[in-house]
Amino acid sequence: MIACSMKHHGRIDPGLSRVDVIRLTPQELDVPVICMACDIAPCIKVCPMNARIRQANGTVVTDADVCIGCRACVYICPVGSPKINPHTGKTMTCDMCQGETEPWCVAACRQEGALKMCTDGAISKNSARQAADRSRKTYPRK
Amino acid sequence: MKLVIIGNGIAGNQVAFDVRKKDKNAEIVILSAENVPEYDPCSLPYYLGGECRHADVFRRKPGDYAASSIDLVYDSQVLSIDPESKTVTTRTGENISYDTLVLAHGGDLFIPPIPGIDNQGVFSCKQLAETEKLAAHNGRSAVVIGSGAIGIEAAEALKRKGYAVYVIELMDWILPSLFDEATAGRLETELTGYGIHVFTKEKVIKIKGAGTVTAVVTNLRTIDCDTVVVATGVVPGTALARTAGIDTGRGIQVNRQLQTSVPDIYACGDCVETIDACTGETAMFQLKHNAIEQAQVVARNITGEPARYLGAYAFARAHFFSTHAATFGKTQRATDCILGDKRIIEREDGKNYLRVVLLNNQIVGGQAIGTFADGLGLLIGAMWRKDDIMEIAAKMRKTPKGGAVHSWPMLRLGNLLGF
Repeated sequence: MIACSMKHHGRIDPGLSRVDVIRLTPQELDVPVICMACDIAPCIKVCPMNARIRQANGTVVTDADVCIGCRACVYICPVGSPKINPHTGKTMTCDMCQGETEPWCVAACRQEGALKMCTDGAISKNSARQAADRSRKTYPRK
Repeated sequence: MKLVIIGNGIAGNQVAFDVRKKDKNAEIVILSAENVPEYDPCSLPYYLGGECRHADVFRRKPGDYAASSIDLVYDSQVLSIDPESKTVTTRTGENISYDTLVLAHGGDLFIPPIPGIDNQGVFSCKQLAETEKLAAHNGRSAVVIGSGAIGIEAAEALKRKGYAVYVIELMDWILPSLFDEATAGRLETELTGYGIHVFTKEKVIKIKGAGTVTAVVTNLRTIDCDTVVVATGVVPGTALARTAGIDTGRGIQVNRQLQTSVPDIYACGDCVETIDACTGETAMFQLKHNAIEQAQVVARNITGEPARYLGAYAFARAHFFSTHAATFGKTQRATDCILGDKRIIEREDGKNYLRVVLLNNQIVGGQAIGTFADGLGLLIGAMWRKDDIMEIAAKMRKTPKGGAVHSWPMLRLGNLLGF
């Protein structure tokens, strides 16, 4: 989040980060919330100002010149990912640091290696399922 | 193939440009009743209130049509359709032939039969030309008749322009089709807090004035004003379809491929009657995202790719000044005539409010104000999946602390509902 706010706003302020980490207090769990850049993105359709735009790299971002901060994209988003810029009231989402060799959050996490940039098809459905299985075994639902 | 599209709105343009992407040779004609390229009616209140520029309401520039070789004809409202000879007749008397016709002329503003409604100073906020007139109008005191989404947004815009604003609603509470009483009551308090006067359960009897508006008379009071905004809802434009003998109900009736009862005529957008994607009931949600989805299905069917429309869904937001609210699915009132085990989950935290409507332990609708609305998408997902709420509550109790990352969507949902 620090890297994200640094890249997009040039200062260290987690409130300006486009990647969010939600703290679920009762479960003592931190959940990362990032724009999934849905193939059929509902936010593009519901925006009254047509400010949600799909970029060349597939990500969907808000055009801050046109956005009027009505938050329709936040409410329709299946994960509630658009963040509100606390200074302007407009929304912002992850653009995968378009134009950079890799997103800044990935670069910042290189030491720990928790974040990785994967190309399309690099994660097979099988390996994703296996990872989910491991998580389920460690923390059974019932 | 010659494709004629009636209506230059969101749906009409989506069909035209989608068909052009697939079919480079088709002849595409859009017949517009207005004289501007495609604009977004949702943006108009923001333009009125000075929150966005005039140019920002447009979704396309005049040059976009020529670049895609789409023929956009201005000022040609279609008056009748003859499916026998496959021609349409415009207001100017011109006959235009078609191979495939798309009805996307949308809805008409419902103008209630109030005496004096044709006075100077009575406006609407649905079409660009009308909104431009309202924006250029210099008034001090405005009465907004009707408190739907357009009415509330227009009221906010006029307040921003410095008007004294009065909202009159015939029904029991504001935004009656979108919110329940508890939610609407809170929004009404907020509106009043911003200095907008709200009168519910009042009927406008007369608009006073000889040529120019001077006052609005309701059954309870007389409000002096120089501006009236009519925002009493939009009715689907079915008159044109009936000239072709197309079956109509509340709107134009279509099948799952969005074909009307007459061959080679499709319909999409605000003028059609569709089904609710979640419940399968006949429904009319005249909302932008539904218009876009319908138009995409029409375009795919026209270009020979079989596509089935899955249905419309209700999602709307109410936003004025720093108050944010959103609603989806059914309201409690809409479930009143359904049999089943009904429950309401309510959460309140200062000005923030969440209200979830449950039917047989499944979410069928919800409304939220403030921070609770930020997670509304999770509730919408649960409604689509028909999640059993009792099961989620039981799982929430058994979830171990820490870990269990795989079940975060359920955990976020459970936390939002307060389990």
